[in-house]
Amino acid sequence: MSELVTLTVDERQVQVPKGTGLVETAAAAGVEIPVFCYEPRLGPPVGACRMCLVEIEGMPKLQAGCTLTAQDGMVIRTAATSKKAADGQNATLEFILVNHPLDCPVCDKGGECPLQDLTFRFGPGTTRMSYSKLTFDKPIPISPTIALDRERCILCYRCTRFSAQVAEDEQLVAINRGAHSIIATFEDEPYRAPFSGNVVELCPVGALTSTQYRFEARPWEIQNVPTVCGLCPAGCNVSATTREGRVKRILSRNHPEIDRGWLCDKGRFTYPHLYAADRVREPLVRRPRRGLEPVAWEEALDEVERLLREAGGHVVTALSGTETIEQAYALGRLLREGLGAHSAVLPESTSSALDAFRAPLATIGSAELVVVVGDDAVADRAPIVDLWLRQARRSGADVVVVGPAGAVQVAPGEAAAALQALLDDGSELGARLRSSERAVLIWSGPGGGGGARLAEAAHGLGFEGRPGCAAFHLPASPNARAVAEAWSCAADEDESDPEPIRLLIVSGDEAAGSASVRVLAEQAAATVVIGMFQGLAGGWADVVLPATSYLEREGTTMNLEGRLQRLRRAVLAPVPDELAWLSALAARFGVEVPAQAPAVFEELSPRIFGGITEAEVDERQPLAGRAPYAPPPPAAETKVAAPAAPTDEHLLGELRLVRYRPLFSGPQVERVPELQFQRPEPVVELAAADAERRGIVSGDLVSVRSNGTAVDLLARVDRRLIAGVARVAEEHAGDLHVGVEVVKR
Amino acid sequence: MATAPEIPEIVFAGTEGGAVTDLDAYVQAGGFRALAKARAMAPDEVIEEVSTSDLRGRGGAAFPTGRKWSFVPKPEQLPKPHYVVVNADESEPGSFKDREIMERVPFRFIEGCLIAAYANQATHVFIYIRGEYDRPFEVLRDALEQVRARADLLGGVTIVLHRGAGAYICGEETALLESLEGERGQPRTKPPFPAVAGLYASPTVVNNVESIVTVTPILELGGAEYAQVGVENSTGTRVFSLSGNVVNGGNFELVSGTTLRELIDVHGGGIAGGRRLKAICPGGLSSPILTADQVDTPLDITSLAEAGSAIGSAGVIVLDDRCCMVEYALRASRFYEHESCGKCTPCRVGTRWLSQILQSIEDGHGTQADLDLLLDVCDRVNGKCLCVLGDSDALVVASCLDKFRDDFQAHIDLGRCPFEESPLAGVLAPAVQHERRFHRELDVIPA
Repeated sequence: MSELVTLTVDERQVQVPKGTGLVETAAAAGVEIPVFCYEPRLGPPVGACRMCLVEIEGMPKLQAGCTLTAQDGMVIRTAATSKKAADGQNATLEFILVNHPLDCPVCDKGGECPLQDLTFRFGPGTTRMSYSKLTFDKPIPISPTIALDRERCILCYRCTRFSAQVAEDEQLVAINRGAHSIIATFEDEPYRAPFSGNVVELCPVGALTSTQYRFEARPWEIQNVPTVCGLCPAGCNVSATTREGRVKRILSRNHPEIDRGWLCDKGRFTYPHLYAADRVREPLVRRPRRGLEPVAWEEALDEVERLLREAGGHVVTALSGTETIEQAYALGRLLREGLGAHSAVLPESTSSALDAFRAPLATIGSAELVVVVGDDAVADRAPIVDLWLRQARRSGADVVVVGPAGAVQVAPGEAAAALQALLDDGSELGARLRSSERAVLIWSGPGGGGGARLAEAAHGLGFEGRPGCAAFHLPASPNARAVAEAWSCAADEDESDPEPIRLLIVSGDEAAGSASVRVLAEQAAATVVIGMFQGLAGGWADVVLPATSYLEREGTTMNLEGRLQRLRRAVLAPVPDELAWLSALAARFGVEVPAQAPAVFEELSPRIFGGITEAEVDERQPLAGRAPYAPPPPAAETKVAAPAAPTDEHLLGELRLVRYRPLFSGPQVERVPELQFQRPEPVVELAAADAERRGIVSGDLVSVRSNGTAVDLLARVDRRLIAGVARVAEEHAGDLHVGVEVVKR
Repeated sequence: MATAPEIPEIVFAGTEGGAVTDLDAYVQAGGFRALAKARAMAPDEVIEEVSTSDLRGRGGAAFPTGRKWSFVPKPEQLPKPHYVVVNADESEPGSFKDREIMERVPFRFIEGCLIAAYANQATHVFIYIRGEYDRPFEVLRDALEQVRARADLLGGVTIVLHRGAGAYICGEETALLESLEGERGQPRTKPPFPAVAGLYASPTVVNNVESIVTVTPILELGGAEYAQVGVENSTGTRVFSLSGNVVNGGNFELVSGTTLRELIDVHGGGIAGGRRLKAICPGGLSSPILTADQVDTPLDITSLAEAGSAIGSAGVIVLDDRCCMVEYALRASRFYEHESCGKCTPCRVGTRWLSQILQSIEDGHGTQADLDLLLDVCDRVNGKCLCVLGDSDALVVASCLDKFRDDFQAHIDLGRCPFEESPLAGVLAPAVQHERRFHRELDVIPA
């Protein structure tokens, strides 16, 4: 515990821990010190805007309250009790408004603008500035998602500090000086970074606005719906701003343990997928020679009922891991209880053995040693975790990446062995993990038994006894674990043999886009797809039933920490809710499933969540405590396809193709025009040695070939990448096989 | 007219035959004895000696150098590298003493650097020299090359000569440190003070060139002996830069406490062309203006403070009766507007606004209300800024209006500037050449 000090703020005594900032100290005394530039999440205060000027006894000049900390006996006077401080704040506000265009009536920020709010409280009612204001070209699109209005900018440097000290992309900078200082991107390149959108929310005026939200709504005609992002397993807390039944923007809803108020651009800017041109709005049924045709719901359900009855249990269900817990449970009840169709293809889920090492994501930020093991970049799987890693590093932690592009280089597919090696007596890194009180292990990639190997390692390193140590698995889908649990608790029977597959049910667009699901569809006699977008399944589904988005659903999900969180319906979907028709369909098979999420949850909760009610799942849900360690099932024999030996001695040797799923990918991102610039370039990444041997340098056009197929890509030499590997984003890898040759064109 | 008394040169001693740029010549003349003397003492004793001399910082703030050094935590208290940073970014209009010091006595200056490094247990000395100072840079570079050949003199200390890129604000110590670290040259908030967390967040002393060069004779003579020269609160000599409408401009090393009249009339040869003195800026542009009847003010810290101004960097600018004080205030304000770093609101906006008001008055468009507005804006800038740059603008402009209100009133009454042959263009050059380039750059920002 920090030493407590007693201070006086505007004649009120207050006790706070020594070193507390004066803004927080005053707040504790019930006094507001107005600020613009102060934002503790951005690092040390800068004292730039001078809005927080206060009088402090014993100091001749007014002081910037944001830059000082509480000391015993300090006597602080704010504008409320000090004329000098009030004059100072009036002065600052007058200066800020001297060059401000005062275009509030057409400004997106108007109505929720700190500058507007403070102007009503401080500063003069009229201007004394009778000369020309500074003008700039505006708005300038600093990226397809963000517009910059330099006239409105008050130069608080929040955006540049975020860029430099939080996201560490260092793309936003201040250039020129004095009155001509402006915010710009370096060399006027677009601000292309995974967290760029946060600067829109940080901006205390309307200088940085979202191109998607510009002129779309005014604060007094919107509603903010508290929900959870459904695009990755982190489950960042968000508010969906809606107007007249449409989502207009996504804002962060600061959950200090998960996201600290930051949100990636995928979570923020992907909502227009709700209004995609190829959104499935009516059920579609394939007719001979005519293709898919819209039909009435009753007719579609009749058709699905017919297919289900004909399949007679020879049904396989492919789930996406994006369903709510309630949807997965309702599907399970219908198919398993109603038809005895127990077979399911589930996305990789997270091992429950990790519950013994459960902790909030924020634990990473205060760790002293973080070891990330796996084939994938953390930012591609759960971007917010990348920000926690950066914070840890800034606070002095050692962040060690064990992977194909890590400080400890490990070939793709070998991460599990590298993890196991940490338990060896001779492992120096392992010894440090064993002795640290604040160590974190993260598994970022496929394989590894959904974190089961990680749990074994954490157990072997003695993490259970140390509450500051934690282990996290970053799964590929947002809700895979709870979907699997909900599916499995829906019925008791054993696995049945679906062969030959008469019917394939595909739940969700992610499953519809999966290559292995496509293979199943080819085997199945008929396929029913529940999807949002026609483009994905239009060519091969026999029936397409319209799906809803996470922004249109009520229900619960579980994030990678194992935290149960609540989705709230931001807007009504243009199609019926899945639970409604699942309930109706289940009734035809004599299975009673409620049509409302809370009722479904009430039914499933005793089976997997100890009977808590949905109402107990709070808007900022705390994390459940740790479970005792239970050894996970042992690893199945993993098959690592060894690169084939060169078939021709003229070849320099094959490279192993590593496909990765970039952050900006997936069916939703593909449908948002403003986000296309964030998608990966058609690039193949090569290790320096491999590139050199082939005479390839960064920027060269190369042909990546395997077994009769070839893709032309630009080469990029990555000095951190392990040799023997060609790394290509999934969407650019085409039909390439695992062994490829890269040839300069 | 009085006759010139004997000048006890301390900083410039031994330069009768010209600049001392040869190491051997400097050593033969007794150079580096002070360093040897210092190294025979404990570091704290050196600091004590400097404290005894009551040396006040020559950069403008007049802070006691010995006390500044005593604030630096000892390496055993704070086990981080310790740094000495020398502020050679002399950019104050009216001030050009450091240039001549570096050119004429580079080895005395380097010796002072090494003494400061020893006293503060620093391993590195960074000399941040104004980018436009080509000649002093070359002299120092050559002198450092000679010293680097003598490991015994360096004593394990590394001296780095770093050139600035043309920003007045980088003479502010924390902006200087930011710039030295490769960041944008903007002042930091204090605390923490550089003594505890300066360069690379390590204990750092930042001293002006003249302060450092003076440390050498202080060690040579002993602090008490040095303190015999000068007056109370302002011991020793100072190098005064004299410019403006005088017969002989230049640097004059004089005992602190010499009157302005003696400096101007005796050393400067009086006002050029037999004109009448109108105003004096006694300590570089940032010191509030003095009137002609304050010419008997002694040039020391206490007397100038009592006169409502400051010794500053001892750059004395003399203005004769042709000068328009509105124009003087305008040129001053334009300078601060141009050099404002843009970090804090009052300075960034206030300096520009002040210039706009002053321009309007100078052009004859001013109203009576503008005079009140001018003072009020000064008041709203002064004391509200992150560093003293904005405060300086406000103080200078307010002092002009306060002491030469008739000039301002005449502009408003006549609707034009009554001074037809104001020579200020030759006294305070505008920053126009920079402005032009700057606007060109702005134009290329794409829409």
